[in-house]
Amino acid sequence: MSVIVLESIYTAYEGGSEPVIKDLSLEVDRGEYVVIGGPNSAGKTTLLESINGLVKITHGRACVCGLDVRRRGFEVRRRVGYVIQNFYFDPFTPFTAQEVVMMGRFGRQGLLSRPKESDYDAVQRAIKTVGIEDLAHKTIGTLSGGQQQKVMIAHNIAKEPDLFMLDEPFSNLDFRAREFLQDVFKGMVQQGVPILMVAHAFDGLPDIPIHLVVMNRGRITGDLSCQAGEVEEIIRKECEVKERCSSG
Amino acid sequence: MLEWLIENNVVCHALEAMIFASVACSILGVIISRMSLSSIGFTMSHAAFAGAALGMFLGANAQVMAIAFSMGVAALIGPVSEKAKMAADATLGVLFSLSMAVAIFLISYMEYMGKGLSASSLLFGDVISLYREEIYALAAICCLSILFVLAFYKEISAIMFNMKIAEAAGIRVKLVYYILLFIIALSVALSLNIVGGLLIFVLLAAPASIASQFCFNVKSMFVVSPLIALIVSTFGVWAAFEYTLPVAPLVALLLTAVFGLSVMLSLKRRVNSSNY
Repeated sequence: MSVIVLESIYTAYEGGSEPVIKDLSLEVDRGEYVVIGGPNSAGKTTLLESINGLVKITHGRACVCGLDVRRRGFEVRRRVGYVIQNFYFDPFTPFTAQEVVMMGRFGRQGLLSRPKESDYDAVQRAIKTVGIEDLAHKTIGTLSGGQQQKVMIAHNIAKEPDLFMLDEPFSNLDFRAREFLQDVFKGMVQQGVPILMVAHAFDGLPDIPIHLVVMNRGRITGDLSCQAGEVEEIIRKECEVKERCSSG
Repeated sequence: MLEWLIENNVVCHALEAMIFASVACSILGVIISRMSLSSIGFTMSHAAFAGAALGMFLGANAQVMAIAFSMGVAALIGPVSEKAKMAADATLGVLFSLSMAVAIFLISYMEYMGKGLSASSLLFGDVISLYREEIYALAAICCLSILFVLAFYKEISAIMFNMKIAEAAGIRVKLVYYILLFIIALSVALSLNIVGGLLIFVLLAAPASIASQFCFNVKSMFVVSPLIALIVSTFGVWAAFEYTLPVAPLVALLLTAVFGLSVMLSLKRRVNSSNY
């Protein structure tokens, strides 16, 4: 069964002159590693936020983890991990890295319930998986951008998601951290959890088949399978062809 | 409640009222200050102020009208921000101006009609002429604020951390946010008689700001903030009756002075240079 089924969806922001996402269809199965590429303002982040219901889908059918996103958005968000693109935590943010990782479990726990033993275990596993044991008791605002990025990835891994979406997760990370985390994501894919990653840099992608989605101006212009080494070239070609077509 | 400790009924009621109001407001203040929504405090306080003025103008119960008006404003904040696609702070600014305009208009008109004296109690509060029922209502809202934080602690902490991340985690952010707005509205409206519309904001802002100078985690802020409010308001009530001073402005001045001291003494901004 597909984890994501999007059929001709449209997404528009109020007051916007045209839809940000237009007539977009996509299907993602369990255990797929999906890379979403394309130029700036192609609608990549909006696509991720339409999938978990943070942005309203105006037309079309969207089914994620067997749930209708338009009707049951917050239930979808309980089951979908999402590492957002930009965040800033001021130095006085009064939460430790471990507390932030635990917050990833709150949606699943539901209202008026307290964290259980299994939640604490999941948090410890996530911290260990991402390799931030030494940061666990530090306040998040005092960490570097790369360390904060790792905490946010652990926050979503602790959620034990059925689908994991990441929006430019490597923007603050050095090459060692990138390689380490790519191995973590490869492990998740092998366990059947699909990964959806928006990226602009494609070095260090894991050596597994990649489901590549190329976007431009709110539409999917390429949807194909390829190897990690081919991703950058395909995206470059797709974007150049589209640019030539639109200018000519 | 404290009659076994304080014989004088007026002092006893004033102390009880001040304790309940300051503890309730200081707990809610921790959430408000961390979410950078301090303007909620003064918008709500002026909404309650406008409601009470309207109540007096119409000859209705001022406190009931204050509650109704601030609840109405609380109900408007979220939908107006969403509909107008504005930051909550901008919506609060507009609602604040509306409330202030209504209040000033009615008070000016009442002064013209010769009812100015009763209207002035809305501005500065009147802690020595409270009814027992009002103190019970304050005790109830104080307990409600504590219960709200205890029951929704994990959701509140996630929202205080980052609203978008909390929403993406599948937390019912809007539900908790609206409950928070309604509890703030109730607390502010009920506290209006004690410190008045102009000073109530200090109870929301000062104790939480003092606590944030020393606390490194949210749990301790929720303990330290009401503790500071409790100590300062108790001392303020005692000093006011001992030296025949106005209660509410004295408590406001004391809280501001403690805030000034806490900024000077705060350990947070000190740099440890011992390892240089």
